[in-house]
Amino acid sequence: MPSTSMRTRLPARDESLVQLGVRSDQWDYLVALAGNPNTGKSTVFNALTGLRQHTGNWPGKTVTRAEGYFTAGGDRFKIIDLPGTYSLQAASTDEEVARDALLFGEPDVTVVVLDATRLERNLNLALQVLEITPRVVVCLNLMDEARRLGIGVDPAALARELGVPVIPAAARRGEGLDPLRQAIHDVARGAVAPVPRRARDFAPEVEELVTEVEAAVRAADSARPNARWVALRLLNADERVAAMVPPEVARLADAARWRLRPDFHDLLAQGLYANAERIAAAAALTGARKVRFDLDRTLDRWLTSPLTGFPLMVLLLAVVFWLTIAGANVPSGMLASLLVDTGHPWLRGLFAAAGAPWWVTGLVVDGVYLATAWVIAVMLPPMAIFFPLFTLLEDFGYLPRVAFNLDALFRRVGAHGKQALTMCMGFGCNAAGVVATRVIDSPRERLVAIITNNFSLCNGRWPTQILMASVFIGALVPAALGGLVSAAAVVTVTLLGVAAMFGASWLLTRTVLRGEATSFSLELPPYRPPRLLQTLYTSLIDRTLIVLWRAVVFAAPAGAAIWLVSNLGWGGRSAAEHLIAGLDPVGLVLGLNGVILLAYVVAIPANEIVIPTVLMLTVLAGGTPEAGAGAGVMFELDAAQVGTLLRAHGWTTLTAVNLMLFSLLHNPCSTTIYTIWKETRSAKWTAVATLMPLAMGVTLTFLVAQLWRLATGT
Amino acid sequence: MPHPGLLLAGFALVVAITLLLAWPRRGLVARARRLRRVTARVRVEDTLKYLFHRAAEGRDVHPDALAGALQVRQSLAAELLEQLTQRGLVEPHGDDGHRLTDGGRREALRIVRAHRILEQYLADRTGIGPEEWHALAEEEEHHVSPDELEALAERLGQPRFDPHGDPIPTATGELPIPDGAPLTALDIGEAGVITHLEDEPADAFDRLVAMGFALGRTVIVRERGPQGAIVELDGRARTVSRACERAVSVRRGAEEPAAPARTLADLAPGTSGRVRRLSSACRGAQRRRLLDLGVVPGTQVVAELASASGDPVAYRIRGALIALRRHQAEWIEIEEAA
Repeated sequence: MPSTSMRTRLPARDESLVQLGVRSDQWDYLVALAGNPNTGKSTVFNALTGLRQHTGNWPGKTVTRAEGYFTAGGDRFKIIDLPGTYSLQAASTDEEVARDALLFGEPDVTVVVLDATRLERNLNLALQVLEITPRVVVCLNLMDEARRLGIGVDPAALARELGVPVIPAAARRGEGLDPLRQAIHDVARGAVAPVPRRARDFAPEVEELVTEVEAAVRAADSARPNARWVALRLLNADERVAAMVPPEVARLADAARWRLRPDFHDLLAQGLYANAERIAAAAALTGARKVRFDLDRTLDRWLTSPLTGFPLMVLLLAVVFWLTIAGANVPSGMLASLLVDTGHPWLRGLFAAAGAPWWVTGLVVDGVYLATAWVIAVMLPPMAIFFPLFTLLEDFGYLPRVAFNLDALFRRVGAHGKQALTMCMGFGCNAAGVVATRVIDSPRERLVAIITNNFSLCNGRWPTQILMASVFIGALVPAALGGLVSAAAVVTVTLLGVAAMFGASWLLTRTVLRGEATSFSLELPPYRPPRLLQTLYTSLIDRTLIVLWRAVVFAAPAGAAIWLVSNLGWGGRSAAEHLIAGLDPVGLVLGLNGVILLAYVVAIPANEIVIPTVLMLTVLAGGTPEAGAGAGVMFELDAAQVGTLLRAHGWTTLTAVNLMLFSLLHNPCSTTIYTIWKETRSAKWTAVATLMPLAMGVTLTFLVAQLWRLATGT
Repeated sequence: MPHPGLLLAGFALVVAITLLLAWPRRGLVARARRLRRVTARVRVEDTLKYLFHRAAEGRDVHPDALAGALQVRQSLAAELLEQLTQRGLVEPHGDDGHRLTDGGRREALRIVRAHRILEQYLADRTGIGPEEWHALAEEEEHHVSPDELEALAERLGQPRFDPHGDPIPTATGELPIPDGAPLTALDIGEAGVITHLEDEPADAFDRLVAMGFALGRTVIVRERGPQGAIVELDGRARTVSRACERAVSVRRGAEEPAAPARTLADLAPGTSGRVRRLSSACRGAQRRRLLDLGVVPGTQVVAELASASGDPVAYRIRGALIALRRHQAEWIEIEEAA
């Protein structure tokens, strides 16, 4: 038990917990969950807590935190998922958060999740945790993977070496969770008191210094359990730890630092790994068969060889895209006919029957409901197909190989190979692409990926591109070639987006992002047979919920704004008509028009509703709202009708081309802006991410318009 | 609507003006801002620093030397020295020379500390290259407040040395004397471990960095002439000028490495090696990440898989398959398996 003298120097535990943002209510024991990234830690967390969990942020940091509850042996446990870290040196925010939680939060039990297939590296963190707190339970996860790869680990031997309980588990299959709960309960209750074997094998002169400081720490506080760790942190000039010891001890440690060798940090890491190596060797099962190890190697050879790697990659991506487009067509149509064609009039009738005033019906049904319904109909099916497919590839372990193959290309512009992945996610949804950048842990490369993600043509913009291409560009050639030409046009715009991404990355890393810290590392995990149904199910639910949430939060108010701007006004004309008239001159200079500009302003929340809004505003501005579905009511037509309508209102091929370009290069949708803000917590970068594509789009459409007009003499 | 040609011309003009004004560091706005920051206080601090560095060489300072170093008129230099003498920070010494008083030395140490901590910050926490550390620190040292500086030092873990190998004065004004001899002092055939790389003159430093000189590397003198010397740096021959030689300090009595150092980049796929050292040119977040992943002396590494484009290459390190770019692999010195 910690002595009272230490207690009086440390803030009370409750106080630290409050500072860490943990509420001290409704639980008996606090559990912290630590581990390297990619050890199945979140699977363990989800398995223990089920639905009783929620995600938030660590106070004042951009690091997310998941916390939840579970019961075991009649006691209630609160469990906090610490960020996945390789170490606790507090060199990055993640590590700082993890270290602080362990040191000041004083969890009753710390569960360290280890990957049985990469034991040595994982032991690095486990040993560091053991230096801070003795109440540790090791969860030896991914035992099924270890079996498959022919790697044998003896949990009992490992437990003997470490001096703490070791529970073998395969969390994905639900194996080992009950023993884990039991072990956590035992350690928390004190039924099992682990005695960790801590030792680091240091070079003699370093050992001398560490012992000296350790002795001083112990002399000041004999009951401190982690004096050696405190000594090491003092020699590392850890200010938080220095505040925990009396001033004389801190001064002694400071003086000792001058006698340290310059490569002290390296020696620390070396000592830790020497120990890890020894323990891993002692725990390895001899006589384990090398089963199917060659499958992984063969797969890798095929997927990363210069001859087959790239074609396979392109093929896989093409299949994913094709499945998404082809597969989403019918469901989208069905949803549209249900929610819009059927649902909209039905709702109108309902409101009319209830005697609601015209403006309530208009605002709620024509504005809010219609916009939400549209977004759901367009967005939901492609997302529900695209993301589960991607998650499957990720689970399988293929995606890091894509980053591996493409890294050389991205390195040239100062980015990370994983940006290829976030870029692909962006083709589904830019907000999801931004969230996906969490896999890039180097600050500079992550910012580049976030800011340039908007250049991936997201799902919501495909309808605009396809419509404009087929109506205006396909119409320029004989009908037989029309389909091919319009498809080529859309592909060209997409590739232009990719080129813009590379160009913008290059520019950013040379200017605004020049000073950001950068560090590259890419781990290639072993291939894992994906749990097909499980993944599809969870991904489907996840994606559906996100789309619905987004529709309600962002698109609904947009619908309201559209209806209001079209129906309220002054001087006998609606606000929309005034704005269109005002924006027309600017629009024309850019080769667009006032309708398009206004549509983009009100459609910041969602790119899907741009075309319906454009159509509605066109007929409104043309003075014939009844040609559509009424003022403020978005509607759709088939391709031929769209062409007739727009051309009648002065649209030319230039307008269509520039609309396609502007649709590619404009500010991100409000969901994406919000997500960027949440991920970076920086007004500066959010502003850059919002305004840079807009500036590029305005510039490009301006230049294209002038050159086009010069060339055609109009 | 105006003629498209006219609009294009207007656009080009706007772009040109914006670039002229807003170009980072060289644009008019950036230059104006820098000029405004060079106040009287800045000049005083630069003078103190100059006196400090010359004192370390055992030399007194004359107004013309000061004028040359600060790039100001000789009269201004003389004025500055006069001012500082009146404030008790400088005193006359020798024939017509000046040197720091104790009070002056304390002040100078404060600024030197700021400079070296800033350099360490730039090296350790940002992606800015070695050629820019000194210049950026030169500017910022005058504008960082004592609180900001201490917070920075804390974040960096109270570094003892800056990235050039210079010791950083403590907050209480202590400064240990670095040991080490200049490269010029090594005999032919003698080996030394690099402990310090002088950052002025800047072009000598840039050349040294480009040739691969870094703290902790072993250098052996092979030939010496009036213009400079030919040395062996980790097995590779390099020609260094006199100025470059003077800029390198070494610790004598190093063992000559048994064989020229091979790096991870030299490993062919399928072969393995044992890590000997992680070069000091690998720093900051990158270094910590590699150490965390297990790239420590003694680790066995196998080159397993090359990517479709040849770079990066995946290595098996401590049980995990880690992909590293070629320039990272070149930082990792190895001994190849027999």
